[in-house]
Amino acid sequence: MKYGFFPGCTYSSSAGYKESTEAVSKILGTELIEIVDWNCCGATSYWSTQDITAYVLPARIMALAEKQNLKQIVNVCNACYSTLRKAKEKLSKDNKLLETVNIALAEEGLKYSQQVVIRHYLEVIVNDLEPDDIKKHVTVDIKDIMVAPYYGCQLNRPWGDLDNPHYPTMLDRLCSILGAGVLSDYSAKTSCCGAACIMPYNKDCLPLNQRIVSDAVNKGAQVISTICPLCQLNVDASQLKLKLSKIPVLYFTQLMGLAFGFSEKQLGMQKLIVPFKLAEG
Amino acid sequence: MMDNESLKTIFFETYHGEEIVNCIQCGSCSASCPLASKMDFGPRQLFALAREGFMQDVLSANTMWFCVSCYGCTVKCPRDISITDHMYALKKMAIKHKLTHSKSKMPMMYKSFSDPVKKFGKITDTSVIFRYAFFHPIDIMKNSRLAFNLAKKSRLDILIHPIKNLIGFKKVINKALELEKE
Repeated sequence: MKYGFFPGCTYSSSAGYKESTEAVSKILGTELIEIVDWNCCGATSYWSTQDITAYVLPARIMALAEKQNLKQIVNVCNACYSTLRKAKEKLSKDNKLLETVNIALAEEGLKYSQQVVIRHYLEVIVNDLEPDDIKKHVTVDIKDIMVAPYYGCQLNRPWGDLDNPHYPTMLDRLCSILGAGVLSDYSAKTSCCGAACIMPYNKDCLPLNQRIVSDAVNKGAQVISTICPLCQLNVDASQLKLKLSKIPVLYFTQLMGLAFGFSEKQLGMQKLIVPFKLAEG
Repeated sequence: MMDNESLKTIFFETYHGEEIVNCIQCGSCSASCPLASKMDFGPRQLFALAREGFMQDVLSANTMWFCVSCYGCTVKCPRDISITDHMYALKKMAIKHKLTHSKSKMPMMYKSFSDPVKKFGKITDTSVIFRYAFFHPIDIMKNSRLAFNLAKKSRLDILIHPIKNLIGFKKVINKALELEKE
């Protein structure tokens, strides 16, 4: 299966998201074709400050994908996913805005014609593959890894059509398919990590991360699994300041990679701030 | 300063804020908000003020600058009000009408993010942090341990890798910003 791929700005400098996504997608046969010359989606900074440019940035990405004849755009970052999807949905309902956006894109000879579907890689794996397509690649028994599945915000909210927006289970199911243990009562799974507020308001955002970490630790998880680079950075880095037991924060693709027999090094796990080391339990 | 009535008209008509008349003041939004405790008014109160026409108070509040776009309120709202989108609208209006909360650090955070996008088409963590550090050096110093950790693990991208067709991209952005002013 072929998919257009929008890596987003933080993908290559994140803690092994790139390494593990590449490794896993090769095994699963979900070919991710990078959109040529993509730009930043603009994220909340542009939604918060600009009326038109906030749409032009994601529309340029979608127009480039169309030019490459890619029908679907796969994201690995919740913020990128929600930005592209939000732009697509609003533009589909507002012809005047769509026209304006295309006037700007025409400066570069581009046109957005609403032909792409916006996806997240987690949801691609869970929805487009049969459980056996995943299970047959599992070579390492990871049943001793108890996972706290952490979804963050912008995959299931605001839409709530992929999964239950209040208590999603997609990542839980993937963990079970991989043979890992899953915390079934992880109540912080959709709590907010503080997102971009964490830099200016670190002290105020630490308690948010404290809840995400302590709920996982207290209920016996050994790793937290994330699906977004900003969530990963915030939950991982906050632990430098939290006075709690440390728990590694892995990308879901790293967890898959471990089950598929890749080494920690191949999955870029040496870049994690809290090192991957299983607690006895 | 634009009067309350005109500001309310802009919020309701240009930004579709009129749907807040459906608000039943249940407070699910404020209860589900991760940073409501930092806000001058929680979202429930903010909408009550807007509805009654106290738009200058609304626009100069710190409330929307603490909105982290988690959409927790939006999925909880029993009246299907797109609360997060209204927070975006109020931020844009506050900037436009020069009523931005003077102590909020988020406008500078957004600017530090937006500027490298305009210039290079992409951001790196460092390109954002350096800009922000210029205005709020203490916030960055408090995170020096993190910066050290990231550097040690080769996670700080010092080089910016601009997009290839930067000339074309800039034409698009400049056109968008020009259309923005119309």
